[in-house]
Amino acid sequence: MSSEPPKTSRKLFFREAITRALTEEMANNPKVILLGQDIGKFGGSYKEFVGLIDRFGSTRVLDTPVAEAAMVGLGVGAAAAGLHPLVSITYMDFLMLGLDPLVNYAAKARFKTGGQITVPLVVKTTAGAKGQGVVHSQCIEAWLMAVPGLKVVAPSTAADAYGLMKAALRDPGPVVYVDHKRLFATTGEVPLAETIIPIGQAAIRRTGDDVTIVAHSWMVRIALEAAERLQTEGIGCDVIDLRSLAPLDMATITQSVARTGAMVTVEEGQLTCGVGTEIAFQLREHLENARIARVGALPAPVSSNPLLEAACIPDADRVIGAIRKLLGSNSA
Amino acid sequence: MPNPDSDIFRPLRAMMLIRAFEKALVSRADHGFQLLSSGEEAVAVGLCDAMGPDDQLLSSGRSIGPALARGITADQVMAELLGKATGPNRGKGGRGHIAQPDIGFFGAHAVVGGNLTIAAGVALAMKVEQRPGVVVCLFGDGACGSGALHETLNIAAIWQLPLVLVCNNNQLSVSTARGTALAPARLSDLAIPFGLPGATVDGMDVVAVRDAAREFIEAARRGKGPAMLECLSERFFSHSTATRDTRSAAELSEIHARCPIERLAHGLSPAIRAALQAEVDAEVAAALTKADNAPWPDLAEALSDVL
Repeated sequence: MSSEPPKTSRKLFFREAITRALTEEMANNPKVILLGQDIGKFGGSYKEFVGLIDRFGSTRVLDTPVAEAAMVGLGVGAAAAGLHPLVSITYMDFLMLGLDPLVNYAAKARFKTGGQITVPLVVKTTAGAKGQGVVHSQCIEAWLMAVPGLKVVAPSTAADAYGLMKAALRDPGPVVYVDHKRLFATTGEVPLAETIIPIGQAAIRRTGDDVTIVAHSWMVRIALEAAERLQTEGIGCDVIDLRSLAPLDMATITQSVARTGAMVTVEEGQLTCGVGTEIAFQLREHLENARIARVGALPAPVSSNPLLEAACIPDADRVIGAIRKLLGSNSA
Repeated sequence: MPNPDSDIFRPLRAMMLIRAFEKALVSRADHGFQLLSSGEEAVAVGLCDAMGPDDQLLSSGRSIGPALARGITADQVMAELLGKATGPNRGKGGRGHIAQPDIGFFGAHAVVGGNLTIAAGVALAMKVEQRPGVVVCLFGDGACGSGALHETLNIAAIWQLPLVLVCNNNQLSVSTARGTALAPARLSDLAIPFGLPGATVDGMDVVAVRDAAREFIEAARRGKGPAMLECLSERFFSHSTATRDTRSAAELSEIHARCPIERLAHGLSPAIRAALQAEVDAEVAAALTKADNAPWPDLAEALSDVL
């Protein structure tokens, strides 16, 4: 007889964690519907919608034409009229075509109607570079952080992919859920019990006393790789996974940097008006003397050429370089 | 003397109310600036006469006529446009954004063409939940140049949404003449490639608008899918009260001669007409007084209902 304790979690692919959240929420709430390109029989470009049309039918899983403005608008209108839709925009670059209904209508509807209309909508979209070139690689989540009325989440683990999707599908919204091409095939333990990750709470992935690394999405893995290597040189890193970009969990970041005295932000998007820039300034309002550095993509398009792509986006070497420079300049 | 329940009495009064409302509103120095519906009353009134209580109307920013025609009271529209807390949007929407979904006016939206895909989404919700309503989206000729219309027509057609698209073609997009901006001979022809029924009617004739709209709305209600109606109308004033008019006095005089109110009231006794005018003027004056006495929004409203 085995004496092992009963399992409380199960290893899932990141994409399977999304599918599980969608399945549970669609079963729980008949108002949840899905709209997207190739999400029916095809199952989604990253297989995250596999099986949903068989279970919930084509009334609730709607394959759309290639028409991002209308797709987002349909989701916004259906949400404003009482459903809880999820609109899948395959690549974040294409979300630009749907920004009018998202920014001009969804983000403002509750305010401008004096609370008569809310827009419980989730827009799920995939960011990040993985060999697909200049208009299939961009990370524009910082643009969305600057829109009052939008919430933005970006999980890095399978458990958070599951728990944040569930939170998004129960939120009065609108919520933009940003995943990443390189994350779908990663695995992680996901609780067997139904679990919701509240929007607005960062997670501490690793602790150390010398510097705080703040990242989200795929860059959390890059940050953890950098932290692991720096440990061998005796540099300890706190690694904070933002999980939610709007609202930002500045309390968790500030607490960490109050202890370490230094922060490096890491993002795959642009530094100018980027996630790290915003966090750095907000941090300064609390901790005047914190040493800060930012790591992000080069100020250039992301090529599909693998050498140029790798040169453009941050890797562990660049994070380590930034940290050594930051800590070195202090001790000098 | 016409019977107050007759076919023309109600729409005539509704059009006169819009005209009187706008006249009173813009006579004040504190109206900000407004987008007026004068001249185009027959489109809003005819359309709303064809709609039922379960239906929802979405309009462009030129929304005073549609809001009043759909049944938001003059008191409430006036309060909203003058920024008072007693407006349906609590004074936070104002010009171009008035809404009251619980009476069937889902709302105005001041991005040209911006309400088209939203309206399709409202229609999708009705279809998914098998609600009895039909969605009507009213937009100007300017929106017919937008990609959103093409995307909406296509999806509405393939999904057979209960959606009636109504173009209020008032001939001008700010100052750009429809003929110089849009290629189709008739704007309702835009429905043809999608296999949808379309019709173009005289938008200065409230009965013609109502009858054409009713046919499409009732067809959509019976599950026959979407349609597109073009109403040829005339804008009496410039794009907004803050913009100049590029039309000549002679042109404007010709346009005003086509007044939809005069057309419907033709043959009505002067006494009846005067009584009706006094009635709508009193309603508008009372609305102004109530709005003047109503409170402004609390400044905390600047940050409320955001997240």
